[in-house]
Amino acid sequence: MSVSPRRLRAGALALATLAIISTTACTAGGSGGNANGGEAKTLTVNTSFVLKTLDPGRVYEATGLTAVHALYDTLLTFEGSDVGTPVPALAESYEASPDAKTFTFKLRSGVTFSDGSLLTADDVVFSLNRLKNIKGSPAVTVSELSVSKTDDSTVVVTSATPNPNVPVVLAMPSTGVLNAEVARDNGAKDGADAAQGDTAQQYLDTNSIGSGPYVLKSYEPESQVVLEANPNYWGDKPQFERVVLRNMDVQTQKLTMQRAESAEISLDISGKLLDGLPESLQTSGVQDTVYFLFLNADPAVSDVTANPKFNQALRAAIDYQGIAALYGEGAAPGAGLVAPAFPGTLPESEASTRDVAKAKALLAEAELTNPTVKFNYPAITYKGVDLGTVATKVQGDAAEAGITLELNPQPLTTFLDEMRGGKSPLGFTPQSLNYPVADSLINNMAPGQATALRSGWTVERADPAVVAAGEKVTETLDLAARATAMQEWQRLMNQSSPYIVLASNSSTVVATADLTGADYSAAGWQVDVAAVGRR
Amino acid sequence: MTMTAPDPVAPDPKVDRALTRRRWLGRLRGGSAGRPIWRQPIAVVALTILGGWLLVAILAPLVAPYDPLAQSADTYAAPSAAHWFGTDSLGRDIFSRVVHGARLSIPLALAIVSLALLVGGLLGLVAGYLGRFADEALMRLTDLVFAFPQIILAMAVTAAFGPNTRNAVLALVIVSWPVYARVIRSAVLSMRGDDYLSAARLLGVGPVRALRRDVLPNSIGPAIVLATLELGNAVLLLAALSFLGLGPRPPAAEWGSMVALGSQDLSMWWVSVFPGLAILTVVMAFNVLGDALRDRLDPRYAKGR
Repeated sequence: MSVSPRRLRAGALALATLAIISTTACTAGGSGGNANGGEAKTLTVNTSFVLKTLDPGRVYEATGLTAVHALYDTLLTFEGSDVGTPVPALAESYEASPDAKTFTFKLRSGVTFSDGSLLTADDVVFSLNRLKNIKGSPAVTVSELSVSKTDDSTVVVTSATPNPNVPVVLAMPSTGVLNAEVARDNGAKDGADAAQGDTAQQYLDTNSIGSGPYVLKSYEPESQVVLEANPNYWGDKPQFERVVLRNMDVQTQKLTMQRAESAEISLDISGKLLDGLPESLQTSGVQDTVYFLFLNADPAVSDVTANPKFNQALRAAIDYQGIAALYGEGAAPGAGLVAPAFPGTLPESEASTRDVAKAKALLAEAELTNPTVKFNYPAITYKGVDLGTVATKVQGDAAEAGITLELNPQPLTTFLDEMRGGKSPLGFTPQSLNYPVADSLINNMAPGQATALRSGWTVERADPAVVAAGEKVTETLDLAARATAMQEWQRLMNQSSPYIVLASNSSTVVATADLTGADYSAAGWQVDVAAVGRR
Repeated sequence: MTMTAPDPVAPDPKVDRALTRRRWLGRLRGGSAGRPIWRQPIAVVALTILGGWLLVAILAPLVAPYDPLAQSADTYAAPSAAHWFGTDSLGRDIFSRVVHGARLSIPLALAIVSLALLVGGLLGLVAGYLGRFADEALMRLTDLVFAFPQIILAMAVTAAFGPNTRNAVLALVIVSWPVYARVIRSAVLSMRGDDYLSAARLLGVGPVRALRRDVLPNSIGPAIVLATLELGNAVLLLAALSFLGLGPRPPAAEWGSMVALGSQDLSMWWVSVFPGLAILTVVMAFNVLGDALRDRLDPRYAKGR
């Protein structure tokens, strides 16, 4: 034996390490590029697949939402990047009662499913009832709603409690309307016991039975999803005959886009990854994610983080501008908990600012010398940003004010377990909304609510003014007034809540120059592929 | 029974081995054939590199121009006179971090290998000398560890115990002791029936003393060679663990985690290339040195040339 296998292996590992540091060179030589070369009628969408199902009643993941939005129509929808004003889709108009409990939708006439049969109010009622009763992940958005028809073209949706955001909910892809007859034939149920009886998921993963601009051609959840233009589409036909959603990791997406010439989109290149992309590409981004620290308000977990003076001092110690710079293009220093994409966000002029002297004074006032806190965060990269880098920056900022943070990177599941168990003294997490309504923040993060309790923030420990401001938002039914109330709530939250908003960051659609309508939408579907056309 | 004298014409390998007790140290100086290790240019280069790194590690605070943890507004600065290796996303001086990284990687690798050698060596001695049940049990245990790729098992152990320096070292000891146990066991097995051991036993020498005086010195040579080769592997595995976020906690200047930080944006090549080169030089130097040592110490290689 003249060459030891162990030595070979060690050498190979050394080379592998070198390979890591020269990935650009290696992967640039590999395959990639635009697969649709001559096919001018195909739009390619590259994304790192988060895909479990294409069943509208169960879809909850980003890639699934993009596809389902193109396959199924909803009563209302959003255009482009706007998520403030729902516009007509299957419903040509709607009326809301003054108490925000009853919503009456007038259906468009002559809408057909992809098999040519007519879409009626029965299909809408069936689809919404099924969504609610099969109790999949997206069912929470409609759990308080009930639906009925008054005639073949009128549907009434009622909410158990006043909820001015019902129209927004009814624009979500999960409320897409299925062909009830075909669905029933394939095991779909809409009754109260549908959670047990519905067996349609397998069928709906591989067949589309909607009225949307596209129909499902093939479904390979590991590699690609192919959509083809719906020949019986009732509206304006989409410009691209075929849409291919390709599963691709983000680094490869960047390399692919650097060489793509036409009809290609990538959904996951954001933050620092946008640096170095060719000028010819177009980007569309919306700040829809906020990143915040949470301090535990329970003295039993940490008497340091529970101290309001420490809370104030840490707020003053952080360099919000510097943190926003870490996120790269399209980020902004933290203002409030509502991300800039959504109604009720605080203007950028109200972004938090740094004041180290104030932080030191607050610590001295509280007689805290060298307070030390364990700082948990998930060891992941989220939307192109390594959370560890941001956490290290926070640690460095805090150190300048005399606060010692012990960095504790955790695997995501460990981090979530500890956060849910309420054991984290100090943590750091991103937050995106599941649907574009900021009210859910109040339902979760106001004192005494589920998420707030994980940080030990009970009503007793909270400033009564914050509690009152939160209640005011829920009680306000006019959407504009509600947004204003939401801003007031955030200002009070910024004074005493356990949450310190560090920054907001964009999700971005990167598209080749020849495309139009490649706008990022924070409504869940990321990009409306049917709205994408050529110049 | 009498001890056999060596026959210079046709040496009985067993007897030869018995009589070359502790001769491996002599071989290092060029005792039997070939040049001593410090006359081999490549080994000298390796020794110089390692000596240099050792010096850098010891004198790190004097060598490094900046505090390795100090952040600044000067982020992603390209290599320049002010920052020889540039700065990272938080404006930390990469040269200072690479220099301080030597203080983590090299001692930790030494700790991993010595602990693994200690544990593996003891178990190997026991297994080889006692044989029977102890041998079976210990060798099946090594099979169990060998069944998993090293890095996967190390990841599982660190993830289970929690990612920090101590657990990373522990995990790497757990995955690397079996090689030493195997090597020492087979060395012990091959000399178990040797006459001089039987003679010692007849003279009333107990097993502990026999192991210490006769068996260990004759079997440790190959394990030392292996340990030198494994030092490079340990540096690499440790870097791999911290690359994956399972090593020393941030903001510690550890080479693997520095490579990981840089791999997020490869257009800032200097962030990962310099710590990567540090890993490369240390690993290669340990490997070359281990090879040279083996050529000197392992009779199979020495006689083959």
